[in-house]
Amino acid sequence: MRILRIAQEGARALSAHKLRTFFMMAGTIIGIAALTVIMAVGKGTEKKVMKRVNAFGTHAIMITAGGGKGFSPPQEGITTLRLEDAEAIGTQIGGVDVVAPFAVKRGMSIKAGVNQVQTTVMAVAPEWHDAWEWYAADGEPITAEDTAAMSRVCLLGTLTAKDLFGDQNPIGEYIQIGDVRFKVKGILQERGVSPMGDEFDRRLVIPLTTGLRRLFNQDHITNIRVKVKDSGGIESIATEVRQLLHERHHITPPREDDFAIFSAADIAKMARGISGTLTYLLGALAGLSLLVGGIVLMNILLISVGERIKEIGLRRAVGATRRDVFSQFLTESLAVTISGMVLGSVLGWAVSIILARVTQFPVVISWEPFALALGFAMIVGVFFGVQPARRAARLKPVEALR
Amino acid sequence: MIELEGIEKTYVAGSVETRVLKDVSVRIETGEFVAIMGASGTGKSTLMNVLGCLDKPTAGHYRLEGTDMVNLDDDALSHLRNHKIGFVFQLFHLLDRATALRNVMLPLIYADQYPEDAKERGEKALATVGLSDRMTYRPNQLSGGQQQRVAIARALITNPAILLADEPTGNLDSTSGAEVMAIFQRLHRDGRTIILVTHDRAVAEHANRVIVLKDGMVAEDQPVAQPRDAEAEARALAEKEAGQ
Repeated sequence: MRILRIAQEGARALSAHKLRTFFMMAGTIIGIAALTVIMAVGKGTEKKVMKRVNAFGTHAIMITAGGGKGFSPPQEGITTLRLEDAEAIGTQIGGVDVVAPFAVKRGMSIKAGVNQVQTTVMAVAPEWHDAWEWYAADGEPITAEDTAAMSRVCLLGTLTAKDLFGDQNPIGEYIQIGDVRFKVKGILQERGVSPMGDEFDRRLVIPLTTGLRRLFNQDHITNIRVKVKDSGGIESIATEVRQLLHERHHITPPREDDFAIFSAADIAKMARGISGTLTYLLGALAGLSLLVGGIVLMNILLISVGERIKEIGLRRAVGATRRDVFSQFLTESLAVTISGMVLGSVLGWAVSIILARVTQFPVVISWEPFALALGFAMIVGVFFGVQPARRAARLKPVEALR
Repeated sequence: MIELEGIEKTYVAGSVETRVLKDVSVRIETGEFVAIMGASGTGKSTLMNVLGCLDKPTAGHYRLEGTDMVNLDDDALSHLRNHKIGFVFQLFHLLDRATALRNVMLPLIYADQYPEDAKERGEKALATVGLSDRMTYRPNQLSGGQQQRVAIARALITNPAILLADEPTGNLDSTSGAEVMAIFQRLHRDGRTIILVTHDRAVAEHANRVIVLKDGMVAEDQPVAQPRDAEAEARALAEKEAGQ
């Protein structure tokens, strides 16, 4: 086909001037690389967010003692959240499915035989299993009898079990928390990583009453987990809970809250973190380099039309029509941006992979950025190629050959 | 057959009108070898552009094998140039980065139908000008005479009705010039129609007919009784060089 032969002429002209062609490509390469990184980071972040949100639970809100914005368990000595608060939420707020008060203590030392680990101990009400939808994979869960009797029993996270007992089955064995002995009655299901990046599976769960009276020696709790019936009503329930706790804790606005409430939406916001900012920065870079690259491309093409006036004249003399000349120059422009796009995509993938390795930034490599990049490359190639191509096509053969 | 009838060409620059061609009427039969002569500024380049369908006359008619190009649009003229006219320029106008063969094949790119035997045709055209052993050379690896022969091969590849040569020896030494003229004479013997534009009577006398332009008009149109033999000249020059 004639157009293919003419495109080939364009490609030959480009490969004959490699350095010039590279400069024409540079802007597209950088722009498309930035675009590819944005998409990779964007997709990676969304994946991380979904994972964290799913680990947290889409149907739940979490109340933490103490104000502030952190999601971590409160510092020692904050006694504001009480069992009565949990009861009030269960009885006074509609749409609530399960209310599970619990108390967390970090860095407790646990012993089993010669093995010793430091880990987080959670003293939980029996409802805790339902509230987290987190059950015993093996053995028995925490029951109402356990809390009533203040039993010294515990469930281990899978990683805690491994740390303490290796490959041995820990059920029925004994561990020691501080100087209190507990019998292992079950292993928790695997859960992954918490919204703050903690290992959910490196934990130890005991009955709430046993924890408060025998181990922590306190009567306040650190958290209440509320599971709602319908995830759509979650924000309004969070608002009701906040009002109820304001009343119960006698807090009026100028005074800061002595508790914090988190829902899946808050978790998602935290998980996104700085990747939003990064996306804007890279987006600006991508846009700018495509624009500047396009202008550079257009200028080099215009210079090249000037340098190749005799070539254009000759082609016209041997039979090239205006359209043929136009097609050749537009092809050159498009070939530059499309090759630049391919190189840019490869560069973008490389940067994404390095970014993932070096910074632990979540990155997902997919085909979508490639398709989008192709679109951008064609737009830039046509937009900035038309003017030089038109100028080349308008040259009169007699004048071009002079 | 070529018929020029009352050709006029006027250039307008601001308010100044320059009549470069005034009523030129010429008839050239198929198979003729004609030289168009004239000093610079006599309109021979303009006439050459008209003959090559690169430029339209202001008035008059130009029929090339029966087609009046005056009525054609730019696309049709491009098409006409592609398959009816073979150009040979003073400055060769080869593509620097392409091999001799690719240069020769260039006009085929713009043909209606790209011939399947394009490469063979290119090779054959190069053989006609005696460059079979230089097909993969680039212009900067060839002498001036060889470059002009590549240009002649390029002009021949579409098998055009006329070969238009504009000062084809203007940039060559006398030996290469004689060799190029010898090729034209051989092509003429094979039946090609050749129009040669030059300011040099010695070059013009290789043709069989000389038309002299003066002030945009035909001042003289005569057959050449005894055309010079370029081949003999080339041989003599080569011997002289060898003897030195």
